[in-house]
Amino acid sequence: MKKISRLHYLSNRVFFMGGVVLGILLLQSVFSLFLFFRGEAELWPFFLYMGLFVGGIFVFLFWIVRPYLRSEMLAGRFLDGYVLDGKQNLQMALLTPSSKEQWEAVERVLHSPQMMELNKRQAQYLALQNQINPHFLYNTLESIRGEALIAGLEGVADMTEALAKFFRYTITKVENLVSVEEELDNCETYFRIQKYRFGDRLELHVEYEAEEFEEIMSCRIPKLTLQPILENSIIHGTEPKVGTGNLKIQFERTESRLIIRISDDGVGMDEEALARLNRRLGRDGKSLDCHREPEKGGIALVNVNNRIHLIFGEEYGMHVYSMAGAGTDVEITLPTAVDEEEIRRRGIL
Amino acid sequence: MRREIFRMERVTCIEQGITQLEDFNLQIYEGEIMGLLLINAYGLQTFLSLLEASLPLYDGYIYYCGRQVNSWRSFGKSYNRISIIQSQSSLAEGLTVADNVFVMRRGFKQRIIRPALLRRQLEPFFRETGMELSAGMYVERLDAFERIVVEILRAVILGHKLIVLHEVGTIVSGTELEKLHEILRYYAAQGISFLYISLHYEEIFQIGDRCALFAHGRIQRVTGRAEMEKDMVQFYCGEYDQMVRGRLERLGPPPENRKAVVSFQNVSCEGLDSLNLEIQEGECLTIQSLSETVFQRLVGILEGEEPLTGGRILVDGKAVGPRESRNIAVLKEQSTRTMLFPELNNMDNLCFGLSRRVAHVWSGRKIRASIRQEYREVFGEEFFSLYPDQLSERQKCRLVYTRILLQRPRAVFCIQPFKGGDLPHRMFIWQMLKMLLDKRIAVVILAVNLADSLSLAERLLRINASGVAEEIDRSAFGSLPATAPWKYLYQEHEAGCTQGSANPRPGAGRNQPQADARPGQSRPWPSGR
Repeated sequence: MKKISRLHYLSNRVFFMGGVVLGILLLQSVFSLFLFFRGEAELWPFFLYMGLFVGGIFVFLFWIVRPYLRSEMLAGRFLDGYVLDGKQNLQMALLTPSSKEQWEAVERVLHSPQMMELNKRQAQYLALQNQINPHFLYNTLESIRGEALIAGLEGVADMTEALAKFFRYTITKVENLVSVEEELDNCETYFRIQKYRFGDRLELHVEYEAEEFEEIMSCRIPKLTLQPILENSIIHGTEPKVGTGNLKIQFERTESRLIIRISDDGVGMDEEALARLNRRLGRDGKSLDCHREPEKGGIALVNVNNRIHLIFGEEYGMHVYSMAGAGTDVEITLPTAVDEEEIRRRGIL
Repeated sequence: MRREIFRMERVTCIEQGITQLEDFNLQIYEGEIMGLLLINAYGLQTFLSLLEASLPLYDGYIYYCGRQVNSWRSFGKSYNRISIIQSQSSLAEGLTVADNVFVMRRGFKQRIIRPALLRRQLEPFFRETGMELSAGMYVERLDAFERIVVEILRAVILGHKLIVLHEVGTIVSGTELEKLHEILRYYAAQGISFLYISLHYEEIFQIGDRCALFAHGRIQRVTGRAEMEKDMVQFYCGEYDQMVRGRLERLGPPPENRKAVVSFQNVSCEGLDSLNLEIQEGECLTIQSLSETVFQRLVGILEGEEPLTGGRILVDGKAVGPRESRNIAVLKEQSTRTMLFPELNNMDNLCFGLSRRVAHVWSGRKIRASIRQEYREVFGEEFFSLYPDQLSERQKCRLVYTRILLQRPRAVFCIQPFKGGDLPHRMFIWQMLKMLLDKRIAVVILAVNLADSLSLAERLLRINASGVAEEIDRSAFGSLPATAPWKYLYQEHEAGCTQGSANPRPGAGRNQPQADARPGQSRPWPSGR
């Protein structure tokens, strides 16, 4: 393959020309000094050329080199698979007036599969809703509950009621952001159902600062954020464990963030599995590499994390801590102040 | 509502193609003392560099006081207002304490420095911390504890909201560490946050509000105070605990009429008066210095750099001068760096201590061939022709200890052998020291902080400037102050709990930690709200 000359690239040509101009200025200043010492010229041309040389270096460094390097860095990240938003594109050194439009076109193309994916997911929800006639389902469950009560099977009745409530929340409420209180109620319902299966082997605790209860409960979070993680903790954490499994949901509120920690004291995971999972929640989640084979396991966590990224941005999301035999903590970081109008405008809600 | 002072969100940092930190998450709240327990130190230097300055990230975000200070998109280097206090001083020598605190800082614009005013301004801070220091003292005259306090004061005065203390427990004594913890608690109550990095979980349990477990450039787990002991000890140092427990179980009562191999009789030098001690054959003795100055004097005597003003040192009843006898070996601090000769190959390094015991070791091919034969299985065939620089840290360590073993001294003085080592390294050192003890070589561990020393010791001597202040036998280790490491094992051993314990729990038998310092609500679910 033919080797490409370094001067083939326009950027290198600019640097080369800049170097030549600065070199000429330096030579001129040295030559002026030489003439001054020979008594053939005055000193001011030396200062003039030296000033131009120093000024040229500063202009070259801060006006061309630094923006260029920054642009290169962002372009490198883009090639690594990071999705750059419009604001970051504008921080790039734009080579020609059409560069901005070029980047915007790239952005449009990049964002369209994501939007399609989102639309697909919403369509799936709707399809599921349409397939199941909710009223028919609730009426049937209510009938079962009535029969169970007549037969004196209070446990079955209670379980059926919990199941109906769980479906009602999952299927009928289509909005994307709900209050923490609603999510927590859904977790309670889900836990009630699971208690019938696990009995005393399962305990759930909810922790929060007493004085922050109202503020925490009114925070807006994506729907179905907590329940899939709770389910994961039960199935992968506490179920394989011998003895009682303790689950804990902790809420913490800082000035700008709501931190939700769902912990279990189950079997945990080894270092390698943990690193792999966090990698999927982090860099791999936003990678453009769509050709990668999908990994098994942790689907629920990755889905919840992707939804958080889409709604609130990449600064928020999920992280998992775990040690084999010592349990797992899933930490979700969300913003406390949510501008729903802005999110709706972006077409995510 | 808690205020977040520092936050690292999914930080990945790659240096020269090697991932140093991966998906690193850490948050520190206002007024919190966050412990960072190191399983290994991989990526720690990168982490400390990131705390100090905004270096390029491969991924993630860093926030300080609610502001994003670094991210994968950032470009250029800026410095964070975070102080890092380590075993090396960051104070400018040749200047006074007041100069270091007030003058050597950004934004100090006075052209005329008024020392008296600076000293007056510093006094309230000394009063707050209970320190009896002169602001006019030159910093090179400060001991390690005073220097750490001065660095904390400087950070507080500079308005830094986060102060990082890295392995400070290894350079101050137990009493000083308790004082230091009091100072940290005082400033934490004032809203300053601390990140307390240590290799020893005992230290973090004493001071930390929460604890993060650091391994391979990742945070494995974060626990609150209440769960710290239960969660961390069991999974952090279970193997080490088993090793120490096993030794304790096998170690019977000390044999009577054990022969004294090395004796210090009224050994005196400047700053140390009339030190008397006796080291018995094959015993492990820990000497804890109650002040850093005494520790330095003692090290000076052993290394032959501190002239004796009185007294004598006896080996097998015969008086010897310091460094005159090969029957006393000294294992210096950071032995892999200080005790190997890089220009000699490993074989020569190994035989170095043998020259007085075996004649013609340098010229005798048979002797060297025999040594090679004996240690081939331990080191491997290629090892002997390599040089120390080509070895891993663990191989170097084995080389140093095997050299001592070949030298066969009557006693070996080890200066802070566990200092700065991560858990696997400390376990390895422990095994090496045990190897020497098994060969009936007396091991004397010199330490400022007890740390791992008690895991091997049969006696503990505490010394101060006027000689031995206290002698504690192994049977009384259980009654040491609560801060002493490994104390719980000795308590269990005394109570006979270790007998027949099929699945010993490291946390059992110890003082239970206090309830979570943060008032919170916990309730079983479901219950009415």
